[in-house]
Amino acid sequence: MTREFEGKTEQEAIKMAIEELHIEREDFDVEVIDNGKRGLFKRENVKIRVHVDSTEEPEDYSFSDTADDTYEEEEEEETLEADEEFEASVCSFLEGVVSHMGYTCTAKVTSRKGRKVNVEIESESSNIIIGRKGKNLDALQVLANVYAGKTDNERKIIVDSEGYRVRHEEQVVRSAYRIAQQVRKTGRSRLLEPMNPYERRLVHTALNDVTGIETKSEGTGLFKQVRIISTREHR
Amino acid sequence: MVERELVEYIVRSLVDYPDQVELNVIEGEKSVIIELRVSPDDIGKVIGKQGRIARALRTILSATANKSGKHTSLEILD
Repeated sequence: MTREFEGKTEQEAIKMAIEELHIEREDFDVEVIDNGKRGLFKRENVKIRVHVDSTEEPEDYSFSDTADDTYEEEEEEETLEADEEFEASVCSFLEGVVSHMGYTCTAKVTSRKGRKVNVEIESESSNIIIGRKGKNLDALQVLANVYAGKTDNERKIIVDSEGYRVRHEEQVVRSAYRIAQQVRKTGRSRLLEPMNPYERRLVHTALNDVTGIETKSEGTGLFKQVRIISTREHR
Repeated sequence: MVERELVEYIVRSLVDYPDQVELNVIEGEKSVIIELRVSPDDIGKVIGKQGRIARALRTILSATANKSGKHTSLEILD
């Protein structure tokens, strides 16, 4: 579960989270979304996102059924046959990179779907392997794909650790639904945070079935932002 | 040096001409610069579209456990 809090300082925001959620500081991770810095002297509130490890779902997301449908639709192509030699070389490349970074890990293929080969990195330092907002995981994936492309151009490597990608995808879609609801209610468009093409596609397809709003990508480069716009008549 | 070996390992694994990979480490008081030179045919393999691979290399470099506490930057020369 994730929640967002705002305070004058990061500490203050964390304190608010502890009080409101009735949890201990050790029980959650904090991600700073906005450090509040606006130039040299200007400061605004610090926004943080709190990640709590809990098995129970805090809210009921009435849209989740349609979201599942769009997930399923994606892969229709046949799953490529496993190429053991190829997979072993990609895994040992990843293990080599991580060990040169100064951490220990094991990499293994967990599943194959279509052209995608899922590789899971298991490590005691998985927090570093993943990095802030999955930054390091994405970097490892880029390198793994360049390496894999040398021997096999057909397959795409998805690198994951501790189920981060699945968790993150759910979170992206969930927050998109939440904001879509707000847009529908207020009629005011909202801009989501920058996302990579894959995440944007998730948002576009997930919100495709939601009436009263439409989605559009804004910006240039790899990380564009999705804007959710109300399709109702302007008053 | 850990960072140098890391870059060397990754780059040699990615390029078509690993024996033409050259690294030069310039160590300053507060930072370290790693200069990287590869075969002209391989330059795309270390930079990538819109610098994706170069960015990934730098990200991995910054996540590396370093004891010296110095900031390490990577420069790709051509």
